[in-house]
Amino acid sequence: MKPHRPPLGRGLLACAAALLVIGVTDAALHDLLAQNPFGAPKLAPAAEPEASSLVGWLLAKQSEFYRQMSSTIRAAKSDGSAVWTLLFISFAYGIFHAAGPGHGKAVIASYLVANRETARRGIALSFASALMQSLVAILIVGISAWILNATARTMCKAEGAIEIASYGLIALFGLRLVWAKGLTFVRALQAAQPMPAVAGVAHHHHDHSHHHDAQDHHHDQAHAHRHPGHDHVHDEHRGHSHGPTPSELAGPGGWRRGIAAILTVGIRPCSGAILVLVFALAQGLVWAGIAATFLMGLGTAITVAAIAVLAVSAKGVAGRLSGAGDGGGALFMRGIEFGAAALVLLFGAGLLFGYIAAERTTCF
Amino acid sequence: MRALFGSLLAAAFTLVADAASAHPHVWITATSELLYAEDGSVTGVRHAWTFDDMFSAYAVQGLEAKTKGAYTREELGPLAQTNVESLKEYAYFTFAKADGKKERFQEPIDYFLDYKDTVLTLHFTLPLKDPVKPRQLVLEVFDRSFFIDFQMAKNNPVKLVGAPSACQMKLDRPSDGTATAQKLNEQTFTDGPNANFGMMFANKITVDCP
Repeated sequence: MKPHRPPLGRGLLACAAALLVIGVTDAALHDLLAQNPFGAPKLAPAAEPEASSLVGWLLAKQSEFYRQMSSTIRAAKSDGSAVWTLLFISFAYGIFHAAGPGHGKAVIASYLVANRETARRGIALSFASALMQSLVAILIVGISAWILNATARTMCKAEGAIEIASYGLIALFGLRLVWAKGLTFVRALQAAQPMPAVAGVAHHHHDHSHHHDAQDHHHDQAHAHRHPGHDHVHDEHRGHSHGPTPSELAGPGGWRRGIAAILTVGIRPCSGAILVLVFALAQGLVWAGIAATFLMGLGTAITVAAIAVLAVSAKGVAGRLSGAGDGGGALFMRGIEFGAAALVLLFGAGLLFGYIAAERTTCF
Repeated sequence: MRALFGSLLAAAFTLVADAASAHPHVWITATSELLYAEDGSVTGVRHAWTFDDMFSAYAVQGLEAKTKGAYTREELGPLAQTNVESLKEYAYFTFAKADGKKERFQEPIDYFLDYKDTVLTLHFTLPLKDPVKPRQLVLEVFDRSFFIDFQMAKNNPVKLVGAPSACQMKLDRPSDGTATAQKLNEQTFTDGPNANFGMMFANKITVDCP
């Protein structure tokens, strides 16, 4: 069993890293809370709360734009030009609001990092999921309030059910990513070991996760026609393993994975959009509400896309710094991917079990 | 190692930003009355919560009214019922401490909604499980997840009804950080990561009766 010990040790190291992430999160959260403009001790209590931190500023801006929406919709009833103001406010609100919860920003960024996606795909995913969020909000309000004239209670219950479903989906999605990335990570761990140890593991223990070990020669369809010298076995003997090639990612399977991400993120509409839609409906300005919802979505998409690009580039930089070409670097990158997958799972589970109280639907 | 640390920080920030930048979707302007018995003990709290007009429009969606755009107390009865029933899950967003000891409330009584100038106001009384006669009573009104932003009304936010004349009332509004700094030390670190996120938005009513 001796050869197994190093991976176990590294596994423990990975766990320690994960715990560190949680610890840092926790600490940083308290830091942010402490710095929040509404909470920070102030010299002049009469002064307007000042945005001393980025998060505080975002929070203040969102609230400001959001609160302007109802008065603008009212104004639009008598003055058509207020619709343009409404559209601008909605767009700005979307941009700021996407920095907050409920827009799958963390899910999309983690997914992109875990799956070695390109920035371009990140942008596409962001826009597609934001569009879907807008459509779901419009569908919920359109069907329940406009067509069925359901009460807020019914609508809120539907919203709550969708919310739970979306959290479940995030957790499932994370679980699948963790499974796939865990396997890759374990393989990378084994590949990173000194050769004799790899041989020992490969020959004597048929661990189910060793898809590429030297004995089995289990290849995917895609690898079947390769020359013997170019397959993954060869990689392992050189001390590192490759991820899927770009052509594998761009295949139809790649887009199917993307759609899973869009559905996971996009199924949950933002409560703000629903409130705005119902309010617009009550004012007899349903089209203004719909337009506002789409502009909110557009704003949201821009922020999420920016964060997605940032995540992908950060990972690229990390890859170059760690020298992804050598064994340790590859292992490091697989570790990051596994960590990102674990984040999606943690995030989903956290939301599902109420550990992370994100933008919760409060029905009352 | 630096890269690793960087990515951990980035990942942590993503999560943190998600948890911490929730912003309210419902605004409530509140007035509260502290009810006292003849012997000077506190028996309960009577709240009047006025919702913002967006949420008010949302809440009355689908309700039948004889006169369009005007809802009577009777027509709003079922909604008021729903409100107080649902509020139970959130402990009525009302937290009382008598000389540092947590006090509990009974189910609300005398509740109703009225609709005026396109906004809803929810009135309800929360009787204390056991009337108390503390030297210091602290009452906090807030939503810990900050989905709802509670603001005490500008004028006459808190009334002491039938309190002994020696009692002094003090209101700490959320923007006044003095109360918050202390609370962050007390509880924020003992509970879940953002269980007390809304704490800093708490309205804290302190009544000292020497």
